[in-house]
Amino acid sequence: MITIGCDVGSLFSKAVVMDGDDIIGKKIIATTGRIAAEVHDLLKAVMKSAGISADRVDCLGATGNGVGLVKGASFMEDTVTCAGAAAGYFIPEVRCAIDVGGQSITSIAIDEEGGVRNFMRNDKCASGSGRFLEMMSAKLGLSLRDVDKIAAEARNVVNISSQCGVFAESEVITHVNNGENKGDIMAGVCSAVAKMVSAQGRRFGAAEHFTLLGGVAKIDTITTMVRKSLGGHYHPFPFDPQLATAVGAALLGDSD
Amino acid sequence: MFAGIDVGSLTAEALVIHEGRIVGSEIISVLPNPVDSARVVMDALLSRKGLTWKDLKYTISTGYGREKIQHYGLAQETLSEISCHGSGAHTLDPEVRTIIDIGGQDAKVIKLDAKGGLDDFVMNNKCAAGTGHFLEAMSRALGVGLEDLGPLAMKAKKPIAMSNRCTIYVETEVIHYLQRGASREDVAGGITMAMADRVVSLARRIGPENKIMITGGVAKNKAVKAALEKALGKKIAYPNLDPQLIGAYGAAVYAAAKGGSK
Repeated sequence: MITIGCDVGSLFSKAVVMDGDDIIGKKIIATTGRIAAEVHDLLKAVMKSAGISADRVDCLGATGNGVGLVKGASFMEDTVTCAGAAAGYFIPEVRCAIDVGGQSITSIAIDEEGGVRNFMRNDKCASGSGRFLEMMSAKLGLSLRDVDKIAAEARNVVNISSQCGVFAESEVITHVNNGENKGDIMAGVCSAVAKMVSAQGRRFGAAEHFTLLGGVAKIDTITTMVRKSLGGHYHPFPFDPQLATAVGAALLGDSD
Repeated sequence: MFAGIDVGSLTAEALVIHEGRIVGSEIISVLPNPVDSARVVMDALLSRKGLTWKDLKYTISTGYGREKIQHYGLAQETLSEISCHGSGAHTLDPEVRTIIDIGGQDAKVIKLDAKGGLDDFVMNNKCAAGTGHFLEAMSRALGVGLEDLGPLAMKAKKPIAMSNRCTIYVETEVIHYLQRGASREDVAGGITMAMADRVVSLARRIGPENKIMITGGVAKNKAVKAALEKALGKKIAYPNLDPQLIGAYGAAVYAAAKGGSK
């Protein structure tokens, strides 16, 4: 059974082709203005990366902000259910998944059967989101790809005291103007994100067995800081954590 | 003569009074160090009026770094911004019971008793939404100057309601509406409504009572004042002094009361 999972997010759109429990094709593109056309191209590209044609796909599961723009979807579900399903299926011992996406932080409580028991989401405010990290990196002239490399050079982690992205940006500029080195500032930004992620996770009981999902979970500096702050048992998602929600859409579509 | 110095996040103000009347005032953009801001703004005022620091009998500093300003001998005493705004607004108009003060990086709502004493207050300095910073970011997104945002919003035919609160997300929303061909006037109108919405929800936490006065730099934006009046369902008075000077004026009034009796 071959299924495609497609997650149209606020900053990135992701698609995976799954053959049973294996990912045989994957693709991530930036979400811009022409979502319908982008999704069309994304699906074509992901099938090409898996080396399959459209007639071999048994199910197309769609999720994300732009779910309505995935033409031909045979299954639609919200992102919380999909992310929870992916975490619950691949890491059965996990009871909490913290999904740090482009514009939100979502903590998902997962029951013994791998279903979503409850969730908590901050999407009102950019604090701690991928967008926050992107803005701060941009002020340092860095792309998200460089975050870990630059943060690794830190000797003294600077303190970013504001939670608000706008005020934190001013703090970053002040640190740059004071001549602090980029590594120290970048590590300070990562620490601020980790604090916000951990705070939400802790309120939601993430201390026991937890995992981190979403694009921000790809940044090792941040996951290490979150693990240190939360304690408990961290279980890494077995695939690229940014793909987790798309994987969940494929899984749920498969079992539908 | 008595003086007040108020150093904010974006601007610093100085004001001098003599026998209850304002002799002069000055507003500058802040320098990195609040002590420098205080010195430069007062120097500018004094030299323009042909005065010297020696003419100032008693000075009170307020705002950011007010202790440092006193420590360096530029003021004899410090007082919180809340007390200074209360004193300034009460002296201008004794009927004022609520002050809505919107500055560059924070917003405060202050309730006064009949004598001008502090009754209650709430402040937002955690989130840029509902502060001057929000309007700055939005005017940048619209490609207009900060001072043009109000006049533009006043011309809105059908203000576009923003669905987000966060400054960062509203900025994206603004760009999205502009790309879809919405008029800049209608978008500016929506920005103003979003701004008022944040400030009103802050004000409601302590229940604003008449008479309400608006102070701080954002008060100069007439569209924000009108949107606040509409959202609150109450009239808001505009001070008969530059609304950015209320804190410095209140400090000077206090200085006269304290220094005059010494």
